[in-house]
Amino acid sequence: MTFEIPKTQYSGQIREITLGTGNKAITVGGETGYPFYLFEGEMPRLPQIAMEVYDAPPDEWAPAALEPFLGVTNDPVAWAQKCINDYGAEMICLQLLSTDPNGLDRSADEAAQVVKRVADAISVPLIVWGTANHEKDTEVLRQVAEVCQGKNLIIGPVEEGDHKKIGASAIAYGHTVIASTPIDINLAKQLNILLGNLGVPDEKIIVDPTVSGIGYGIEYCYSVMERMRMAGLTQQDDKLQFPIICNIAKEVWKTKEVHIPTEEDPALGDAKKRGILMEAMSATVVLLAGGDVVIMRHPEAIRLVREMMAELTASQSN
Amino acid sequence: MAKTDKRLRVHFSPDNIDITVREGEGLLKAAMAAGVHINAACGGNGVCGTCKVLIKKGQVESTRTEKISEEEYEQGFRLACQSRVLTDLVVDIPVESRLETAVLSRETGMVAGGVEPAEAIATGWSFNPPLNKCYIELPLPTLKDNISDLSRLLRGLKRRCNISNVSVDFEVVRKLPQVLRKKDWQVTTTTLVKAVKTKADRRKPTMINIEPGNTSQKYYSLVFDIGTTTICGQLLDLNRGKVIAEGMAYNGQIGYGADVITRIAYSQTPGGLKKLQQAVVSTVNQVIDELFAQSQSSVEYVGHMIIAGNTTMTDILLGLDPKYIRLAPYTPAASFIPPVKANSLGIRVGKHVYLFVFPSVASYVGGDIVSGIVGVGVHQRKKLTLYMDIGTNGEIVVGNSDWMVTTACSAGPAFEGGGIKHGMIAATGAIEDFEISPSSLEPEVHTIGGTKPRGICGSGLINIIAGLLEARVIGQNGKFNTDLTTKRIRRGRDGYEYVLSWAHETQTGRDIVITEVDIDNLIRAKAAMYAGCQTLTKSVGVSCFNLEQVIIAGAFGSHIDIEKSITIGLLPDIPRDRFIFVGNGSLTGARLTSFSTDLLDDARKVAAMMTNLELSERADFMNNYVAALFLPHTHAGEFPNVTERLAELPDSKSGRGLNT
Repeated sequence: MTFEIPKTQYSGQIREITLGTGNKAITVGGETGYPFYLFEGEMPRLPQIAMEVYDAPPDEWAPAALEPFLGVTNDPVAWAQKCINDYGAEMICLQLLSTDPNGLDRSADEAAQVVKRVADAISVPLIVWGTANHEKDTEVLRQVAEVCQGKNLIIGPVEEGDHKKIGASAIAYGHTVIASTPIDINLAKQLNILLGNLGVPDEKIIVDPTVSGIGYGIEYCYSVMERMRMAGLTQQDDKLQFPIICNIAKEVWKTKEVHIPTEEDPALGDAKKRGILMEAMSATVVLLAGGDVVIMRHPEAIRLVREMMAELTASQSN
Repeated sequence: MAKTDKRLRVHFSPDNIDITVREGEGLLKAAMAAGVHINAACGGNGVCGTCKVLIKKGQVESTRTEKISEEEYEQGFRLACQSRVLTDLVVDIPVESRLETAVLSRETGMVAGGVEPAEAIATGWSFNPPLNKCYIELPLPTLKDNISDLSRLLRGLKRRCNISNVSVDFEVVRKLPQVLRKKDWQVTTTTLVKAVKTKADRRKPTMINIEPGNTSQKYYSLVFDIGTTTICGQLLDLNRGKVIAEGMAYNGQIGYGADVITRIAYSQTPGGLKKLQQAVVSTVNQVIDELFAQSQSSVEYVGHMIIAGNTTMTDILLGLDPKYIRLAPYTPAASFIPPVKANSLGIRVGKHVYLFVFPSVASYVGGDIVSGIVGVGVHQRKKLTLYMDIGTNGEIVVGNSDWMVTTACSAGPAFEGGGIKHGMIAATGAIEDFEISPSSLEPEVHTIGGTKPRGICGSGLINIIAGLLEARVIGQNGKFNTDLTTKRIRRGRDGYEYVLSWAHETQTGRDIVITEVDIDNLIRAKAAMYAGCQTLTKSVGVSCFNLEQVIIAGAFGSHIDIEKSITIGLLPDIPRDRFIFVGNGSLTGARLTSFSTDLLDDARKVAAMMTNLELSERADFMNNYVAALFLPHTHAGEFPNVTERLAELPDSKSGRGLNT
């Protein structure tokens, strides 16, 4: 009797949703098996990597992170174009850091104009990420939604506390929302239901389960994402069959470890390599847990992750 | 400020009670000392805001708190617990801060088990109360027959009443010679089965009293359910097997905190345990007085008391230190407590009366649940039954005649109206039913007793939240739909709220509202109960859908609306004919046990057969709990009928339908 490797029986499929518009629009999702379990199910396309752009020059970045973008950090449009042209970015994520009420507190009006300029200058899908301050995000993202009508931006984070107003704008102006909850499968599902009740179409929702970098609780994030996939793929839970987006770069590059210079702690190895590897490894972990879109920063980390995905899927063709 | 020796007078209205206190004394303490009850759910820590009083004359020194609005502060409202007496005072206690002291009388005259649905009451027991009275005419002593008085009595007891193997309390012997001779050797003995043996013929009664003449027609017992919030009692006529009076009152301990944990904490303060013990005894005495006033019988004929309560409540009543109930690994003083003389605890009954406490299972699974199980007869049937006692400390049992598992989940006082802005317990004036027009969003409220509304009770809360959900006034997360055009929804001090009754329609003269915080509290309470059920049933490999019978007990008023309880996700969405509401299950058990020694025996067996599950030890409880923090539930599949019905309801003006 020959041994047969037991296989998981899948009964569900992750929804396919399209981000952006035009010929550079990207479809994500569609999996019928666990991430990279190509021996069990389909993974119709590789996960996508979006590159980060900030709406104000970052002042506390590690030198390694800043280096690839020298000269463009005070111009979001140039920065985005550099990502696309030089580093092959498939998507852009514009982080609206300057709108933070505890920081520069730039007005919604200004922020919307920046978003519009970037959106007009690029043709790849554009993610717009606020500051997770409910009042400010409501104000900013509603205006963003309005001035970029029809561009199918991916806007967020949309949380329970502000889902109604931002969700309503997204419906009205044809954008996709990032349903964001704090690392809990039930809360994630509840927000998806609430967005559905509000009238956000299923193909306009992408889920942000909240992630953290290696060494900062990533196993917890992994476990929640894994359970989401199990519920969606094997338990017919259609409220958990949405693609997942992971805003990982921000988390990795704010850790203490990426900021320690080589000479200060030689045991930690080369500072530049360290940051890049931490980002690449963190991204790899969330991809293995089920991420469909990963927001990344360093081109070298991105190259490593692409290589990893290529290798994981290469055996398929043999 | 420090207390000085200066004496000041405080007058409390509407009680019209004066008390002299030292300058600087706390106002809440002064009220308690005066016997004036003021609600203080947090135990006087200034966080709950339930002890609001109106200073009509005089000065207090008071810490400002957000629990008092600007407007109220101007009018002279203060928190009693945060105020110290500076001058002579006149203090008015508003209706919502007052603890009802009057006993709420209920319809009486029920025969044993008469009001409960037949399928939810213990069966197969015979009427043989543990307390027995026997009238004997003894032959006069002669020189030929000059055995001792006691031997004569025991001989007579054996001949006339076939009672042998009796042990005798010394108090009986002490008065024996006088009593025997008082009415020509005609006496009535009272015997009580204290220790229960499994074989009925080996039960050993104790003679606890002897009375001259024939009083065998007059013997009563008292049964009590000692709840954290409410105390219920019944006076039983053991000669006729009838309830002759029933009463309830708020547990006097409420002034020391709303839940068992705060009470245990208070018991650890100097003199705290004694104060708590006296508070509950005084409430019990008050209910006893009321019962006798109703029934026009005399307390001297009471021979027995049976008490069911959670472990903390019974420990405090008995004066046992409850400290270790609160500390891991949560050990109570005793599961089986030997009968004690009620009189020694301060309960105003005859010296001979023994108090029997229902055995408990664990620190948070008390005799009240054992009593409930015995009363409704879960242990007698093969049917897979879920028994839920919904209260501050929710208790759940799953099982049948072969096995039982049980758990307790802290639901908080929301079901009894606690922690709710305008919450109250099920008494006259409490809103218990609610309808809302889906088009105008105008409410229609019904109160207990049909009076003007004064607050909202637990069953009212359930109905209100179900109604608001169905009318789409709130979403599945319990948050108000603020886009609706109605003046009923407005922003209050605690966030958004819905006005149930305008000031001019109420007894309090203020708007009665339900706030988002109230809704949150009830959602948390119902989630704890439901997740408890789910975790418990799953631990024995069954699902809620397998349950053949669900018995609901609790301190609700006359009823709990099963359909609406399912709508909000408190009860499982299974066929409605499987549900039975039994009211106060603990009291039913205590009553039946008072009627039948067989059930006294059952109580021991039930307590011993229950396996306790600590929810805090179960990882899946928290997951189930968060999933249940939604209306009706995060997983629509758990509530298929509700989900379908909600989806079919017409959309309200602005909102869309509920997504299934």
